[in-house]
Amino acid sequence: MIEVVDPGRYTSIQDRGRPGFERFGIPPGGAVDWFAASIANHLVGNEPDAALIEATMSGPTLRFQSETTIAVTGGHCPDAGCPSWRAHRVDAGFALDLGRVSPGLRSYIAVRGGIDVPVVLGSRSLCAIGAFGGGVGRPLQKGDRLAIGATVSSPAVSEPWPESHRLPIRGPWEVRVVPGPHPDAFDPPAFQRLSATACLVTPALDRMGIRLDTPGLRLAATEILTTPIIAGAIQVTPSGGLIALLADHPTTGGYPVIASVITADLPLLAQARPGDTVRFRDVGLAEAARLWRRLSGWLDLSA
Amino acid sequence: MTWRVAAAGDRALLVTLGETIDSSLLGLVLALDRALSDPRPAGLLSSVPAYASLLCRFDPAITDAARVEDAIRRLEGHLDASMPTGPVTDVPTRYDGPDLEEVARKTNLTPADVIDAHASREYLVYCIGFAPGFTYCGTLPDELVIPRLASPRVRVPAGSVAIAGRQTGIYALASPGGWNLIGRTDLRLFEAGATPPVRFKPGDRIRFVPNR
Repeated sequence: MIEVVDPGRYTSIQDRGRPGFERFGIPPGGAVDWFAASIANHLVGNEPDAALIEATMSGPTLRFQSETTIAVTGGHCPDAGCPSWRAHRVDAGFALDLGRVSPGLRSYIAVRGGIDVPVVLGSRSLCAIGAFGGGVGRPLQKGDRLAIGATVSSPAVSEPWPESHRLPIRGPWEVRVVPGPHPDAFDPPAFQRLSATACLVTPALDRMGIRLDTPGLRLAATEILTTPIIAGAIQVTPSGGLIALLADHPTTGGYPVIASVITADLPLLAQARPGDTVRFRDVGLAEAARLWRRLSGWLDLSA
Repeated sequence: MTWRVAAAGDRALLVTLGETIDSSLLGLVLALDRALSDPRPAGLLSSVPAYASLLCRFDPAITDAARVEDAIRRLEGHLDASMPTGPVTDVPTRYDGPDLEEVARKTNLTPADVIDAHASREYLVYCIGFAPGFTYCGTLPDELVIPRLASPRVRVPAGSVAIAGRQTGIYALASPGGWNLIGRTDLRLFEAGATPPVRFKPGDRIRFVPNR
C-alpha cells in the first residue's frame, strides 16, 4: 500500500492509455511522456502496461507501507533524494518526497507490480474530463491509498538506464513533425514560416494540450468542418496562436491542423515548460518511421 | 469530390470525403467506417468518424501509411452510402437554459418560438466527439442559426442542450464549452461502465421533446 501524504501539483495514475475509444469522445490518455514511463516500468521489472504515477511540475510525497522497488524517470527531480533512471529498494515506512521537477515538467514513479486500480474501458489511466479511471476518477489527493499490483514480467534491473538512451529534458526544443492533415486550410508558405519561428510555450498547458505563441508570426487559417484529431496535432486558433495537443486531447476539433508531431518526439512536448521555445521541423513519414523504430529498438533492448 | 487522404502524424491517416454538414456525406463516412471494420485491413487499429471525415489509426510495426491508403482507395466509388434508418429517440428537455433569452433576442423570436423551432424537427447525430459522449446533431432551422459565444464558459453542466451555427448538441458531461445553452436533459449520454459507454452514435436520429 502507498499513502499519498501530499499530492503535489497534479499527480495521476496513468498507463499506456485507452486508444480505440475516440469514437465515443473518449481521449486516449496515458502517460504524456510515454517513453520515460516505459523505462520506469522496465527498470522495476513491470509489464509494459503496468500503471504508474505521473507527477507534474512539483511532485507528490508518498509513503510506502511495505518494502518494495521503485524507479523515477522523466523530468529531473533535484530534491528527491534518490537518483533517477534506476531501480531502488525502499523499506517499509519510506517516504518519497519528489519535490520540484526541473528541467523537464513531468516525472514518473513506477512501483514494482504496478499501481493496482480497476481497468476502465481498457486502461487504468485517469480520464479527468470523464471523471473515471485512475482509481479515484480524479487526480490524487492527500490521504488516498494506492494498492500495489502484481503485473511483473522480470526481475528489477540492477543497472541505471544509460544516459545515451534518454531523450532531452531541457529546451530549446526541436520537435519533428509531419505537415497536415489540413494543408488546404493554409497558404503554401505557412509551414515554412512556422518552422522558421521560435514558438513560445505559455503557462496555459495541461494534459490536454499546450498553448504556444508565435512571436512575429501571425498565421491565417480558414475555418474547417470539425474532424477527428490526434495527440501531437498542432492547431492554429483564430487568434493565430497554436495549440499542440497531448494525451487527453478533445477527440475532434474545428481548428485546422498545420502539422502533427511524430510519435518519437511526443515525449519532448511532454517535458516543455512555460517560457521554453519550440521549433517545428518537417521530417517526412520515412524519417518519422525510422525515428520510431530507433526508440522502440531501445525499448526492445529492455524487453 | 475525390477523397483526400492525408497523414495525421506518423500513425494515422485522415480521410476527408467532403467539407459540408450533409447527411449523404455522413452516410458515406459511416459506410467507409463499416467497410474498414469488416474485413479490417492488416494493422488498422481503429477509426473515428466525424461529419465528413474518418480518422484511421494504424500500427506502424505491421503496416504503413501507403498500404492503409491503398486499402481506403480501393473502396472509393464502391460504397453504399444510404443511411441505416432506426427509431427516433426522444430527448426530454427542460428549455430553461441560461442563454435562452439571449438566443431569442439575437434571432428576433420569443423564447417560446425558439423552443418551438428547436423541438420542431428530427435531428441526425453527426458526431460523438470533443469530450466523452458529447453529441453533435444537425441541422438547425435557419431561424436559429447564431454564432457560438464570444468567450466560452469554464463549466457547462452535464445534460445541457445547446446550439451553435447550424448545429445543436448535448453536453454529456460537465465541461468547458462555448455553445449557447437553451435547455437541459436528464438523459444519461455517457456511462464509463456501460457497453457501449455512450447513448448515441453517428447516424442515430433524435427529437427534443419539451417538458411541459
